[in-house]
Amino acid sequence: MSELSQPRTDLAPVRRSSGLFGIDLASPRHASKLGYLLLAPAALLILAILVYPMLLAIDISFHDVKFATLSFGASEYTLANYQKLFSSPDFWKAIGVTAQLLVVVTSISMAVGMGTALLVNQQFRGRSFARMLIALPWAIPEVVAVVTWVWILDASFGVFNWLLIKAGLVGGPVSWFSQPGTAFSAVTMVMVWKGYPFISIMILAGLQSIPEEYYQAAKVDGANVFQRFFWITIPCIAPVLGVTLILTILWVFRDFSIIYVLTGGGPVGATETLAIMTYEEAFNFFRMGYASAIGVVTLLICAIISAFLVKKTSHAIY
Amino acid sequence: MRKTTIAGAALGLLLATTSLAQAETLKFLTWQLTEDTYGPWWEAVIAKFEEAHPGDTVEATQIARQDFADTMMTQFAGGSPPDIVHLASFEYQPFAANGWLEDLGPWIDKAGLDLDGWAGQNLCTWEGSTRCINLQYFAYIMGVNTALLEEAGLEIPTGWDEFVAAARALTKDTDGDGITDVYGTGLHLASGNNYINDMLNFVLDAGGSWTTPEGKPAFDTPEMVAAIDHWATLIREGLVPADTTGGDARQLFVEGKVAMRIENPGLAGVIETSASEEMKPNLKLVPSPFDPPVGGASAVITMPSEIPDERKQKVWDFIAIATSPEMQELFSEVVGAPAPRPGSVTDAVLASTPEYGLVVEAMEKAAAAGVDRVPVGLETHYNELASIVREEIQRMIIENRTAEDTAATLQERVSALQ
Repeated sequence: MSELSQPRTDLAPVRRSSGLFGIDLASPRHASKLGYLLLAPAALLILAILVYPMLLAIDISFHDVKFATLSFGASEYTLANYQKLFSSPDFWKAIGVTAQLLVVVTSISMAVGMGTALLVNQQFRGRSFARMLIALPWAIPEVVAVVTWVWILDASFGVFNWLLIKAGLVGGPVSWFSQPGTAFSAVTMVMVWKGYPFISIMILAGLQSIPEEYYQAAKVDGANVFQRFFWITIPCIAPVLGVTLILTILWVFRDFSIIYVLTGGGPVGATETLAIMTYEEAFNFFRMGYASAIGVVTLLICAIISAFLVKKTSHAIY
Repeated sequence: MRKTTIAGAALGLLLATTSLAQAETLKFLTWQLTEDTYGPWWEAVIAKFEEAHPGDTVEATQIARQDFADTMMTQFAGGSPPDIVHLASFEYQPFAANGWLEDLGPWIDKAGLDLDGWAGQNLCTWEGSTRCINLQYFAYIMGVNTALLEEAGLEIPTGWDEFVAAARALTKDTDGDGITDVYGTGLHLASGNNYINDMLNFVLDAGGSWTTPEGKPAFDTPEMVAAIDHWATLIREGLVPADTTGGDARQLFVEGKVAMRIENPGLAGVIETSASEEMKPNLKLVPSPFDPPVGGASAVITMPSEIPDERKQKVWDFIAIATSPEMQELFSEVVGAPAPRPGSVTDAVLASTPEYGLVVEAMEKAAAAGVDRVPVGLETHYNELASIVREEIQRMIIENRTAEDTAATLQERVSALQ
């Protein structure tokens, strides 16, 4: 009888760890508990830095306060802020401006981002350099970039007006930030310039994941370039497009620094979005309760748009 | 022997702990720490305080001016305000209205601080009690480019008619490319309350006022209509660069691209530090053409109401040093503008620069006329007032409205604020 075949009755019983609070986390029965335990620090951190301020803002929005403090329910609850908000023409104007900006900036940015992604997805000399150039606006800190644009678009001494006059496109200097139409155009232009690189990078990543065989098979079947684009490229990058669209919409919705540095929301409210209105009410006019109400409404609109788009894009994917 | 050593060590530890407990660090936030003029003065005040309070320190932090009110509001709202509270004179009111600032009356009485004749101090009275001490009061003067005036054959303007005539004559496209190269004057036309500070030049000169002495809006008076018309004339006729901030206008002035700029006395320092050597001889400071000149308190010092009493005592000691005759004289010397304490400008300081007398004269003129940038009755709505005025003037220009219509709209909107 070999040593190995001897009965193991003489071996000491295996000691099992008593684990945390007597629970053996290594046991398959408790495996999910270990998962929750490992996730707990991150979840608690998110609760602390995201959910708590959000709850605080919702609480403040139901109080008629100018200066807010960190104590929940310190004064009487009221709907006054929401009543004032929904009867304010400024609020509805800000909704309108935000919606216009959302449609114009998102559509132009998506088009430019798609175009540049398709361009740098081709094989050509200097492709890496072209990719770097396209990504450049995204890499520059937002406020630095916008201050530079303020100088470029300066009505009296800006280089943009000089170029337009020299090219004979305008008769005299354009006061970009003094007229509602030109101010909106300036904001749109800078937002597109700042926003399209992100879209381009995302779409480029999507394009590179499309197997070449799909295109080869389509060519064999006689599909032209447009057919290949609409029947192979678009469906294959639809998931990426969906996520990018949601992120771009949310970025336009909440962007503050570009508009604030360029126009401060003016002239006569032509570029005053909900984000600008929230800041003005909170930190310029010191009406924290009212500003929180605008913030809560903005949050709800963003949540509805996101939920709608997520549903739509998930249908498109699957 | 061993017991004695242990007891000695314990006593030493106790003393050291007690000493550490008494030593305190006072938090102080300001936007002036890195400025060439105010920075050295604050450093001197801090050094003097630390010398008088061995072990105590002042932790001074620089905050950008544009972020200052937000930062202070966040700190007060979060329950951790700085110990030494430094605020702009036009933004302390909401803090006082919220009950966050100490009533300094008892401290002033106890210390025997005489505030009679203290420039701009009336602004610190909030609902019958003293909530701050004014640290700066100044009045506007005018910077002129004498070379441009001489070239156009013009004298230094001394009233609205001469001013606008000079602005028209000085605004030029020198190289004929269709772009104006030199503007008659420069204004703050961007957002922020400097918009109404600059506009106040024209309001006061026309005999108007934002509010009545009782604090009611006074926008629909003939004087205000005239002031709005004067302001809009400069913009409509393109006599000022569009969309500039006060800082931009000041920079364009030292570069020779704006011929006249009405400003606070800080303009002297900017000429000194920013103008080229070729440009400096052309840039001269003269009295404001408008009467009375814009004047006003600029920054105040105070303390929070919700800090322990022993800490309040130390903060008061700091305030007492900052407002002492010695430090007020130093202020007048290093800042280049008179400190608010009467008699703080010595003869030596007065003779130190050719402009000093001009600055003192403007300050006395504005103070005598009871001028302050913050309108009575609208103290807590100052920022909103600036926003409304700017928006309605923009609407007036864009939609080609009359000054009368704009004045009526302003009266209605500002009345609604109250």
